[in-house]
Amino acid sequence: MTSARDWLRTDRLPHIYCTGCGNGTVINCTLAAISGMGWERDETVFVSGIGCSSRAPGYIQTDSLHTTHGRALAFATGVKLAKPDLNVVVFTGDGDLAAIGGNHFIHACRRNVDMTVVCMNNQIYGMTGGQGSPTTPMGAQSTTTPYGSAEAAFDLAELAVAAGANYVARWTAYHVKELTKAIATGLQTPGLSFIEVMTQCPTNYGRRNKQRRVSDMIEHMRTHALLIEKKRRLESEGTPIPEGMFTVGELVRRARPAMGVRR
Amino acid sequence: MKLVIDESRCKGCNLCVLVCPYTIFQEGTKPNRRGIVVPVLDRPERCTNCRLQALYGRTLCGVCQMICPDQAIHWKEEEPYEAHRVEVEY
Ligand SMILES: Cc1ncc(C[n+]2csc(CCOP(=O)(O)OP(=O)(O)O)c2C)c(N)n1
Ligand code: SF4
Ligand code: SF4
Ligand SMILES: [Mg+2]
Repeated sequence: MTSARDWLRTDRLPHIYCTGCGNGTVINCTLAAISGMGWERDETVFVSGIGCSSRAPGYIQTDSLHTTHGRALAFATGVKLAKPDLNVVVFTGDGDLAAIGGNHFIHACRRNVDMTVVCMNNQIYGMTGGQGSPTTPMGAQSTTTPYGSAEAAFDLAELAVAAGANYVARWTAYHVKELTKAIATGLQTPGLSFIEVMTQCPTNYGRRNKQRRVSDMIEHMRTHALLIEKKRRLESEGTPIPEGMFTVGELVRRARPAMGVRR
Repeated sequence: MKLVIDESRCKGCNLCVLVCPYTIFQEGTKPNRRGIVVPVLDRPERCTNCRLQALYGRTLCGVCQMICPDQAIHWKEEEPYEAHRVEVEY
């Protein structure tokens, strides 16, 4: 059995992420889950698009595809259908997955292609300097929403459930143990597994939204995460759910027909 | 086992300070050679993983290592007869 550290490309570290950026934590959790699977490095492929989040495969010692912006899932589908024996893991960002890559996202979920997709949702375009993304919350500041975003945000996990993914979970870069477990379950589930990770981008999100310190961002995620079971209970009781909360936990686990499952 | 921060990787975000249940990590005060204020360890021998990893054969707690975005925290085997600070609690 390998350990998470055996998968790291140590000659590329330290990575380019800013101080306190949550992307590095998501890499740790993903590698910890993968090392528990007993997979070989040369049977595993990481695929990503463009963005800070999408640079993750560059720090991992396997073959990988760093593709064009938004197209990670299209490339990953190709890899999986051509070689179903490979384990395919996708790293993507909220902009990459839900803005330019939105169509690939829903159709990969609909086709239920056998792969695991980890989305680092920092609610912003981090790499290009902080433009608003489809997950920027209403009222939040970004370089393209100087008066606060006037649009409603996508709930990526709910979108994946509606589009047909077999496994969907959401956690944050603070909930490291729960996140690792969710990714491990996703890796084991045939069909498309989607794990959304709320991730802090102190540089381009926190700085503009009164969460200047990394600890402010972590505190915000900790206090605004609402367990899905609790949310369902509150709803059934008719108790209103406080503003700004997001659900965490396992949203769905099912066995719809999947594509590209190893024979 | 001994807890160590790799100063060539740490960027001084203090996330480890936030999560350690024993508050072993404390915010540093002095910048190092790279200009980074690395946290300092307060009596790291209290760490569960340092004490019990060998006995249980797996990582215990380990949240600092998991959350450290810069892969800067690890445990290292101690040298034989390494000097220890002894503290008598009463
Ligand atoms: C076709 C194309 N359009 C636009 C860009 C510019 N671009 C690079 S990264 C990025 C946004 C990435 O946002 P996200 O996926 O959320 O990643 P993050 O940096 O936040 O992790 C954009 C718009 C590009 N590289 N290619
Ligand atoms: S800009 Fe944001 S997402 Fe990109 S490395 Fe910095 S903190 Fe992370
Ligand atoms: S979490 Fe890692 S990078 Fe951040 S201060 Fe601690 S050791 Fe340094
Ligand atoms: Mg983003």
